[in-house]
Amino acid sequence: MSIFTPTNQIRLTNVAVVRTRRAGKRFEIACYRNKVMGWRSGAEKDIDEVLQTNTVFVNVSKGQVAKKEDLVKAFGTDDQTEICKIILTKGELQVSDKERHTQLEQMFRDIATIVAEKCVNPETKRPYTVILIERAMKDIHYSVKPNKSTKQQALEVIRQLKETMQIERAHMRLRFILPAKEGKKLKEKLKPLIKVIESEDFDEQLEIVCLIDPGCFREIDELIRCETKGKGSLEVLSLKDVEEGDEKFE
Amino acid sequence: MVVTSLEKMIGLQREPTSIRNICILAHVDHGNQEYLINLIDSPGHVDFSSEVSTAVRLCDGCIIVLDAVEGVCPQTQAVLRQAWLENIRPVLVINKIDRLIVELKLTPQEAYSHLKNILEQVNAITGALFTSKVLEERAEKETETQGISDSVHGDQVYDWSAGLEDTDDSHLYFSPDQGNVVFASAIDGWGFGIEHFAKLYSQKIGIKHAVLLKTLWGDYYLNTKAKKIMKGDQSKGKKPLFVQLVLDNIWSLYEAVLKRDKEKIDKIVTSLGLKVGARESRHADPKVHLNAICSQWLPISQAVLSMVCSKLPSPLDITAERVEKLMCVGARTFDSLPPETQELKKMFMKCSSEDTAPVIVFVSKMFAVDFKTLPCNKPRPLTQEVIAQRRELARRRHAEKLIASQGQELPEQLTSQTESMTLKTVEQEADKESFIAFARVFSGVVRRGQKIFVLGPKYDPAESLNKLPSGCSAADDLPSIPHMACCTLENLYLLMGRGLEDLEEVPSGNVLGIGGLQEFVLKSATLSTSPACPPFTPLNFEATPIVRVAVEPKHPSEMPQLVRGMKLLNQADPCVQVLIQETGEHVLVTAGEVHLQRCLDDLKERFAKIQISVSEPIIPFRETITRPPKVDMVNEEIGKQQKVAVIHQAKEDQNKIPEGVQVDSDGLITMSTPNKYATLSVRAMPLPEEVTQLLEENSDLIRTMEQFNSSLNEDKKMHEINQKILDRIQEFKQKLEKNLQGRKWRNAVDQIWSFGPRKCGPNILLSKFEGYRKTVWQCLDKTTKEVSKYRDFDNSIVSGFQLATLSGPMCEEPLMGVCFIVEKWDMSKAEEQMSANRQDSEELDATEQTKNEDKVTSLPSSYPTESSSENKKLQDGSQGSPNSSEKSSKRKGETLLADCYGPFSGQLIATMKEACRYALQVKPQRLMAAMYTCEIMATAEVLGRVYAVLSKREGRVLQEEMKEGTDMFIIKAVLPVAESFGFADEIRKRTSGLASPQLVFSHWEIISGDPFWVPTTEEEYLHFGEKADSENQARKYMNAVRKRKGLYVEEKIVEHAEKQRTLSRNK
Repeated sequence: MSIFTPTNQIRLTNVAVVRTRRAGKRFEIACYRNKVMGWRSGAEKDIDEVLQTNTVFVNVSKGQVAKKEDLVKAFGTDDQTEICKIILTKGELQVSDKERHTQLEQMFRDIATIVAEKCVNPETKRPYTVILIERAMKDIHYSVKPNKSTKQQALEVIRQLKETMQIERAHMRLRFILPAKEGKKLKEKLKPLIKVIESEDFDEQLEIVCLIDPGCFREIDELIRCETKGKGSLEVLSLKDVEEGDEKFE
Repeated sequence: MVVTSLEKMIGLQREPTSIRNICILAHVDHGNQEYLINLIDSPGHVDFSSEVSTAVRLCDGCIIVLDAVEGVCPQTQAVLRQAWLENIRPVLVINKIDRLIVELKLTPQEAYSHLKNILEQVNAITGALFTSKVLEERAEKETETQGISDSVHGDQVYDWSAGLEDTDDSHLYFSPDQGNVVFASAIDGWGFGIEHFAKLYSQKIGIKHAVLLKTLWGDYYLNTKAKKIMKGDQSKGKKPLFVQLVLDNIWSLYEAVLKRDKEKIDKIVTSLGLKVGARESRHADPKVHLNAICSQWLPISQAVLSMVCSKLPSPLDITAERVEKLMCVGARTFDSLPPETQELKKMFMKCSSEDTAPVIVFVSKMFAVDFKTLPCNKPRPLTQEVIAQRRELARRRHAEKLIASQGQELPEQLTSQTESMTLKTVEQEADKESFIAFARVFSGVVRRGQKIFVLGPKYDPAESLNKLPSGCSAADDLPSIPHMACCTLENLYLLMGRGLEDLEEVPSGNVLGIGGLQEFVLKSATLSTSPACPPFTPLNFEATPIVRVAVEPKHPSEMPQLVRGMKLLNQADPCVQVLIQETGEHVLVTAGEVHLQRCLDDLKERFAKIQISVSEPIIPFRETITRPPKVDMVNEEIGKQQKVAVIHQAKEDQNKIPEGVQVDSDGLITMSTPNKYATLSVRAMPLPEEVTQLLEENSDLIRTMEQFNSSLNEDKKMHEINQKILDRIQEFKQKLEKNLQGRKWRNAVDQIWSFGPRKCGPNILLSKFEGYRKTVWQCLDKTTKEVSKYRDFDNSIVSGFQLATLSGPMCEEPLMGVCFIVEKWDMSKAEEQMSANRQDSEELDATEQTKNEDKVTSLPSSYPTESSSENKKLQDGSQGSPNSSEKSSKRKGETLLADCYGPFSGQLIATMKEACRYALQVKPQRLMAAMYTCEIMATAEVLGRVYAVLSKREGRVLQEEMKEGTDMFIIKAVLPVAESFGFADEIRKRTSGLASPQLVFSHWEIISGDPFWVPTTEEEYLHFGEKADSENQARKYMNAVRKRKGLYVEEKIVEHAEKQRTLSRNK
């Protein structure tokens, strides 16, 4: 082992290493920072802007170039550029600061958009704007988890937001038609799941138009199907019960 | 100014001849007559011209104040125009004359010509207003008489005179010799009209008062030898009379005081017969000295107020013309009003305060005052009795405390508790704002506690007179009539600057404040005891609200306060508009940037009392597709040039459409559900523009159709729709047929399946496959549904279409003007599966579950165990009723189709949606921007700058014409909403307020650029360079929306890889 002196240690700057293992060997390529994710998503199209050099290494920081026979063995070709492309798309890398930052920001926005789409202000039955939701999310110090889907996180956010502000999932409007026989019994079972009953019509069949929380839909669907043995029917009148049109204060 | 007692003012209110409605109450001795002058001050900034409107309506006359240095400003024009429109008489005060002396250092002669110039400018504006009115009247007359004259005398010679010659306009103009101009310097406390000097000099030099009055202003000079006044000063090189007699004196006074020429000052002071205090004359600042002299010599209040008293009309002198104008809303003529209403005109003219006269009051604005400042809540000096009472209370409380401390409970304690409760409620209320109506009595006497009708702007006396018994009053029990309400006048106030004084009654001709109307009156209203009274014409607002911003509370939990605050603001400000948009944004529309600032401050500090943030409102877009373009971006025909190899082009195209979706060259997308049971073929086509427009216009009709159809489908009792609507539907259908012609659209109208989004939007779904006959026209032929093999799932297809149209692939904005055609819908596999299941289940019903296990294994291998258990459960359930109907088994069939991809209907929805999106993506996509039409009034000299602002903001001028009789141009332009933020303000700044735009939403317009465009041919490379992102407006918009929504934006994090800063160099 050589003696460590500051001069013989060369630090790599502006380099992101992408590595992969094939045929029991490790292969690395030297790329520019903040560029690999852009290449993978298709935003960057010029490969020269991504790769520092099209040489395939065994170890980038030591500057050890991969042997030709190893490349052929692992990739079936010795075309360095082609191999670089394969490694770029399939290899693993350390995500750089800016890339992570933009990714998180994008997810944050996405979550806010989903929340804004799904929820309403229960007083006015109008949606909140995305900006407002974003601010509310910052207020409760919500941190985005990069490995969970945005939709899942949105549901989590809604639950947390309910504690600090007036927010509610937009209701779904449903109509059930239940046979008279099971009607009464079923109604009792459905009652805890229903938020508001808008109209109820009981002649030969029991017809109910009501608002429910979208989270209960599956449960209700199941209940009606099982209890009425398929005789009852359920129809979604609107997925989101919100006020439409502009309202002017007069 | 002398402060008068309340009693005296109440006394003066009873005499309309001595009332001048023009701010603070002032009392002037003028001869031996006393006047009550109601002065209403109004703000000068353009943004608040709405406040001017509200003030002008209540007045009979106005004082227009001009700056002697700046002369006529745009705002002066606006004010003159407002006074003119309301038919009130103006008088002029030219202020800041001292600046001419001290700052500009003009000689008296120069100052004279400067003043003359200003007067001429003002008169020119009045003249222009006058001519445009005469011309308008003439044009109206012409159109009326044309019909008659053409037929009677065909050979009539055209009359070239515009009618200007015949109309007398001399009384309109401002002229010092008419006495309606005062020269003043308010800061130094002086002002005068010509009259003052005429009187002075008629005694001194012995020329007749009347002659002096006429000649003191104008090109006359004094021939001292002959002691005669001669004409033509300039030609003879003489000083005009005004300079010699008036200005020279003022100038010499200024000179003397500013130079501190003690002797001269003393001379002047003694010759004027004034006394100046020793303190003022020794003051270090000569201005103080000056003020002391001038305010005695030529007191400004005297000059202005005497002009007001002599030149401005009293409420009795209201002109018939003005009354008629007030009484006729919109285009109605006075003659068309019912006779009872016409009768009221006399009452207006009489302005009588008799008890029999009907009360007519106009409320021009509501203003908020602190609850504490109301007279009833004002701390009053305590009387002896009250003090005694309080002492008694305190003593009792003390006694109670003693008793309580001894451990004895007393019922009296209860009372003290309740007392403290009431105290608390008072405190809570004190925090509130209370609204007072700013109003004027036009006829009759208003009393506290009087019942009165509140008439909204749309109230029609003709309608209600038929309904109401004659001679009824507001106190009676009356049937409800639209736009009319009854209320009690709770409090009447005298407005004393900021203070309020309680009044018991207010006679005609007075300005007053009315409390307790906030439930009934929003911004303005007419109050009357007679139902025959028409509502007054709405206020003329010079500025319409155009600056739009979205407001939000800083803390999301404070939303309710914001909403309440905005409601209050809306009531308190005559010009602001407040609305909640469908997106949930709270939008504030104000007249200008300064107005906006005041509204926000009011919201923050008075009405909402919360922190708010302001942002640019969200701009809507629409997505659509077009026909493929024939030429490229450099106007070369496509296909001729050799394409430069573009590395990424091919890659991108593959990216868009995943595997498993077939695309043919024609843009037909074929897709299967994840479980491969159903296959859909969808194509997208652009709709002709006329059709899109037709659909937009008829969205209400489509919604009705939709409702009717759904009720038809459910076998419910048919809601009969009336014939009128049916006719309209028929007409709508015919129009569609007319617009959808050509080979492509054959039979298209009959195949319309649905509209979208929300079932009534500007997009169409067509069904072009065999064996399906359900259309939106069901309601017309009234055929009830036929049983079709597709029936169970057609809702899924329609829902998929609705979802696809609600958010497009470019930036998740709704679609517009797109037609989706379902060309094939293959469900053979699903049917097989279903029928198999049905048989199974029927068999099962019959055999009462014997081979339950076999059944599960007989299901396709893709069936997961989870749903099979559900299946089992269902079958178990069905045992209970062996005679299950056809319907239930069908439903069961559906449930059986559920597999690892979720329920089948859901899969169909998703597939349809995806198919639609891909079908769009293979066509050339375009964004549509919302457009405003913009009308700009501008004078000729700023026209160039208006164009510059318009073109900078992507606006397009449609037409430009000159307004008859004026030097104003009217420009009509269209402007994208996306570019409109700050537009009004910019145009005003750039044209120094001479152009004011009005923006109204008009239509959607396709942005011609392709948001995905990249240069492909050699010419395009040459022209745009490799990236070409600077040119692409459409992409800019698209990316902005995507970024806002948190969608993926194709943007590089770092533009140049080599140029990144190396952060850790010296590690």
